[in-house]
Amino acid sequence: MITAERKPLKEIKEMIAPYQKVLVVGCGTCVAECASGGEKEVGLLASALRMDAKMAGKKLEVKEMTLDRQCVYEFIDRLTDVIGEYDVVLSLGCGAGVQAVAEVFPKVHIVPALNTTFIGETKEAGLWVENCRACGDCKLGFFAAVCPITRCAKGLLNGPCGGSRTDRCEVDPDVPCAWQLIIARLDEMGRLDLLRKVQPPADWSKQQGKGPRKIYRKDQRT
Amino acid sequence: MDQKSAGLNLTIFFCQQLDPDQDVNRRALERELGKRIRFFPLPCSGRIDPLHLMRALESGADKVYLVTCPEGTCRYHEGNLRAQKRIAFTQELIEEIGIERERLELIITSAGNPLTIDEIARALLNREASVGPSPVRVSMSETIHHEGAKA
Repeated sequence: MITAERKPLKEIKEMIAPYQKVLVVGCGTCVAECASGGEKEVGLLASALRMDAKMAGKKLEVKEMTLDRQCVYEFIDRLTDVIGEYDVVLSLGCGAGVQAVAEVFPKVHIVPALNTTFIGETKEAGLWVENCRACGDCKLGFFAAVCPITRCAKGLLNGPCGGSRTDRCEVDPDVPCAWQLIIARLDEMGRLDLLRKVQPPADWSKQQGKGPRKIYRKDQRT
Repeated sequence: MDQKSAGLNLTIFFCQQLDPDQDVNRRALERELGKRIRFFPLPCSGRIDPLHLMRALESGADKVYLVTCPEGTCRYHEGNLRAQKRIAFTQELIEEIGIERERLELIITSAGNPLTIDEIARALLNREASVGPSPVRVSMSETIHHEGAKA
């Protein structure tokens, strides 16, 4: 899941200040799961903006809408009949959603209400943690499904740094040492032999350095 | 001046476990005060959502109360504890737009002295008004007045 957090209202208000008709568009997928951009959050933000405008004596029309997904054309198309009535779209999608909507409606100003943060997991109610850097070269099979690139503060691929105290990372004692987890889990499943393989340096060309990445699937193309 | 005399609009969300006869007990007050008091029974105070509180303020409430069972007596164990967190979250949100956090208030009822919902509401109405009319309501009525004058 892609996680995000709402921007401060001051920043949002500055972005929509020149406009009078605002369409607030949420996304019912990742950002709804992390309670930042779903239907409820759209309602909260729209209410706050309407009340703020009323108190300031400003005329502002705010409409609420939530798409099932803001990064897929078939869902974005739901905006086609209404978007023309608004001066600006305030998107509560992730960065991909904001850009996807803007691609479809290039003449409309689409502004983000969220700061997209990381790919992560819902750990507990109200707690989301990062666990994937989308490096493009997944090696979780060697590491008992604990990503050392993301979860080890030093991103080490060939064993622990030796700095952990009990089972905590020396960089942040709130975080468990990823290598402690890897070794404990591999031991439990009787696969410590996987650590005999020396991991080559990570191939970062699969993540960055060549501009935006693309996945091309011939069988899915029309 | 008490809140009733100050003419404040009150919205009261409450756990209906507090008063099995709440449906009957609140009617007299509703008839007496009309739109100035609005009751919203909840199956548990933990059902409250920040969106309910925001919509109440947006609709013109000057003061929004959430009345919960005494601590440790929630039928669903921790609904009233969740209610407190939701109030705190919404208070932070309204402060961002310059609305006083006091406009949202949590009332934890007393275990030793159970009251019916109308008794609770009357006690709230008799409280000293710590805030005046909401700036949202004031600007709403100004807009209506202004648009009426134009027409």
